[in-house]
Amino acid sequence: MAKGIKVRFQPPLAITLLILGFFVFVPMISAFEYSIRTPLTGGYGWTHYIWAVREDDFFHYILRSMWLAGVTVLITLFVLVPTLTWLHLSRSKVRGLIDGLSLLPLVIPVVAFAVGAQISFPEFVQNTVLELPFLYFVLALPYAYRSLDIGLNSIPLKTITEAARSAGANWWRTITAVIVPVIRGSVMATIALTFALSLGEYTLTVLLHWDTFPTWVTFVAQDNILGAIAISMMSLIIPFLILTVITLFVPERSMQGRK
Amino acid sequence: MTSQVIEGGAPSRGRAFLASFIKNILPAVPLLLIVGFFFLFPIARLIYVSFLSNENTFTIDNFKTAVQEPYRTGFLNSIKIGVFSAAIAAFPGAVAAYFIETRGSSKLRRTIAVMSGVLANTGGVPLAFMFYAALGIQGYLTKFLKYLGWDLYAGTFSLGSFIGLLIVYLYFQLPLMVIVFSPAIVSLRREWSEAARNLGASQFSYWIRIGIPLLFPSFIASFLLLFASGFSAYATANALTVGNLPLTPLQIGGLLDGNVSAAQLNLGKALGVVMIVISACAVIPYLAIQRRSAKWQKG
Repeated sequence: MAKGIKVRFQPPLAITLLILGFFVFVPMISAFEYSIRTPLTGGYGWTHYIWAVREDDFFHYILRSMWLAGVTVLITLFVLVPTLTWLHLSRSKVRGLIDGLSLLPLVIPVVAFAVGAQISFPEFVQNTVLELPFLYFVLALPYAYRSLDIGLNSIPLKTITEAARSAGANWWRTITAVIVPVIRGSVMATIALTFALSLGEYTLTVLLHWDTFPTWVTFVAQDNILGAIAISMMSLIIPFLILTVITLFVPERSMQGRK
Repeated sequence: MTSQVIEGGAPSRGRAFLASFIKNILPAVPLLLIVGFFFLFPIARLIYVSFLSNENTFTIDNFKTAVQEPYRTGFLNSIKIGVFSAAIAAFPGAVAAYFIETRGSSKLRRTIAVMSGVLANTGGVPLAFMFYAALGIQGYLTKFLKYLGWDLYAGTFSLGSFIGLLIVYLYFQLPLMVIVFSPAIVSLRREWSEAARNLGASQFSYWIRIGIPLLFPSFIASFLLLFASGFSAYATANALTVGNLPLTPLQIGGLLDGNVSAAQLNLGKALGVVMIVISACAVIPYLAIQRRSAKWQKG
């Protein structure tokens, strides 16, 4: 955007950031200070973090949350990228329908969705934790769909596909080796938000009686408050780091880099 | 198959139907199946069951109970917290989004985007801890304010009260406003402000005649989405309140867990359906406005 204009000191921006920063960081830093207290010695230390990491459940739940989030991301990409590519290429009449469907989860409060999910699925679905990635997929669908849709809109999809196809690539290769790299900005954004949403999902998970990292924090809070605060801090920092890494991987506007 | 639309005569109707099915619908089947089974089916069933009595006969009694006390207060409180948290967050969030998008460097904008994404998703116990640490009875901000002569806890304030919860909700509502309102700002072209100035408009008249009218629909849309977010938030309310503040999501959660029993087994489903209706009243206009403004934002 504002290329060429050297960034100089901006009082309104500085004030905005100061106020926002105050509101965001005061609670965060206060909680952090609690989490490094050591009541026995009266000083500070990483006791609670070490305690948390040494708990068997810590790795059990964090790994579980991670792989559930990973599966959600895979479902999202495997289902949405080919479907959206096809929708963009064909002039199918179902496009309007699917566009509308993809936004519908925004309308439904998660609590209501949880009630519906609890009374609907057959036993074999309710008995496996694998129901969660599919439900997370639904929750992330409006965002993931829109992000990929924008990416596909911004490229000459038809030309690219025809070129790849006439060079002998099959559909699978066209999508994985050509389309996905070209829209990698949108793909990365989709991965980031789907992953973050799945990792932090609490309402649906707890109402369907599953245990993941976010619900475990609640459980720990019942007998070790400071430990639970330490875990909470980690539950904020981990998605932040993951998202930062993912977004830093993609140079900004990489998809327009090909001019 | 390439992308050309083949519009030839088909040999027979059955074959033609099959061909058109393969061409027009088949690739969408995986998505439709997942969304159908994991989303539409549960919602349809929720609506169906909400009309069933304990003996599985048709009834609207669940809804009659759902609009009586204590559920009535639950709805009123939930709507109130949705409206207030959205109203308080909307304007500062929009101004923040404006300064960040127009004055911030690319690095800053990306950092803020990531942070807003994380913060808009905070909630539940971690968020409750942060506010206990800052604004709880022993919180740092509380002590600081007391030092300045303002005792927060002199009256009836607590983080589990309506006001307390409202403050906590702002923690995810403000970043959400920044996220949903930023695209509208990005689409405000620099050329327009320059053109207006060249034609002699002052900064003030640019805002009154161009800036605000252009941004207003997106602002209202963002407000509606924030309302829906505050209205249906569950995790944070669950972590902070101890049954002292009736809110619909908590009442549904209680019925679902069996912590609260009601004479009508399907009351929770009816509450869920009413929630969907209220939320739809906000989200559907939001989507309609978004769609309209997407047209000129792209062009």
